Amino acid sequence: MSHVVFEPEKCPDKAARVWAGMREIARRIHSLDPDLLIIATNDHLNNFTLALQAPFIVGVADEYIPLGDMGIPKTPFPGSREFADGFVRFAATAGFDVARAEEIAPDHGFAFPNLVVNPGGRVPVLPFYINVANDIPPTPARVWALGGVLRDFITRERVERVVVLGAGGLSHWLCEPEQGRVNEAFDRMVIGKIVSGRGRELAGLTSEEIRRDAGRSGLEVMHWIFAAATVPHARGEEIFYEPMPEWITGMGGIALTP
Amino acid sequence: MSPAPYRVHRLIQDLNRDPRLVVTFESEPETVFAQYGITDAERLLLREGTPRALMELGVHPNLQMKFLRIRRAAGVGGGPSPLASYLRDLAQGK
Repeated sequence: MSHVVFEPEKCPDKAARVWAGMREIARRIHSLDPDLLIIATNDHLNNFTLALQAPFIVGVADEYIPLGDMGIPKTPFPGSREFADGFVRFAATAGFDVARAEEIAPDHGFAFPNLVVNPGGRVPVLPFYINVANDIPPTPARVWALGGVLRDFITRERVERVVVLGAGGLSHWLCEPEQGRVNEAFDRMVIGKIVSGRGRELAGLTSEEIRRDAGRSGLEVMHWIFAAATVPHARGEEIFYEPMPEWITGMGGIALTP
Repeated sequence: MSPAPYRVHRLIQDLNRDPRLVVTFESEPETVFAQYGITDAERLLLREGTPRALMELGVHPNLQMKFLRIRRAAGVGGGPSPLASYLRDLAQGK
């Protein structure tokens, strides 16, 4: 689902539907009673800057304190070191050298969806960063493949009940000349493919195609692709979708069950 | 649109992390520009500091947001959080 919201005043009806959809996703996650919540997202050059651009980073800390951007409370919440380290070791045997991060102050890309779906930080989390803000982002094919590695790790090596949340925006051209444009056709294409069990087709896109059709910030759909790859044949349903030029983005959320 | 040179991005990244640098930048911008090797043409656009100027310079979108926020904060304050009403809902368990 999208990982941020904006002031409701400009479009109260749409905002109410988006917020209700996010709360519905929270309700469904709560009802699954997970042992671990993995949120795939991106940092907005707060923790990982252009000084060193790693494509994939997982948080391995015991605890996180949000950065506090956008007024998000700096309330600590628990991490999952043993799971995270186990995944990094597993991925290294499966063709992925994933970076480990001990010190992350999650910005809104992680902290807001976590606040919505995991109130009180009751479920330990694993921050999974797909660095689409990099000058050279990872390809959708690699993102899909890494989602498959996570699936293999969970199904072969672990006993926990795990929820994977892909948290990122659909089409938006933040701080680009096209800012304000929303490509509803692209957004609905992404949602349609994933909920019909054809998410793998999105792995055939290039980063350049996503930038063209969804904007640079629309590369955040990689997080949706990653989450879909952890349940590659699952079908699901659209929980909400709103094209919102008022918020300069398409807003959406879906649910997949293996 | 070509990306801005890394020196421009490095300056904004450091401003985002270092409140003392922000204070120096507010009072002695030319000194800070010189420290980061910012050219005259780049200084012109950063001094203008509008979304159009930052786009023309090729500043990364996330860093445009930070530079605009830093300049706003130096003027009239950062403004309310766009999440305020939602955070109230969550805090009240709605």
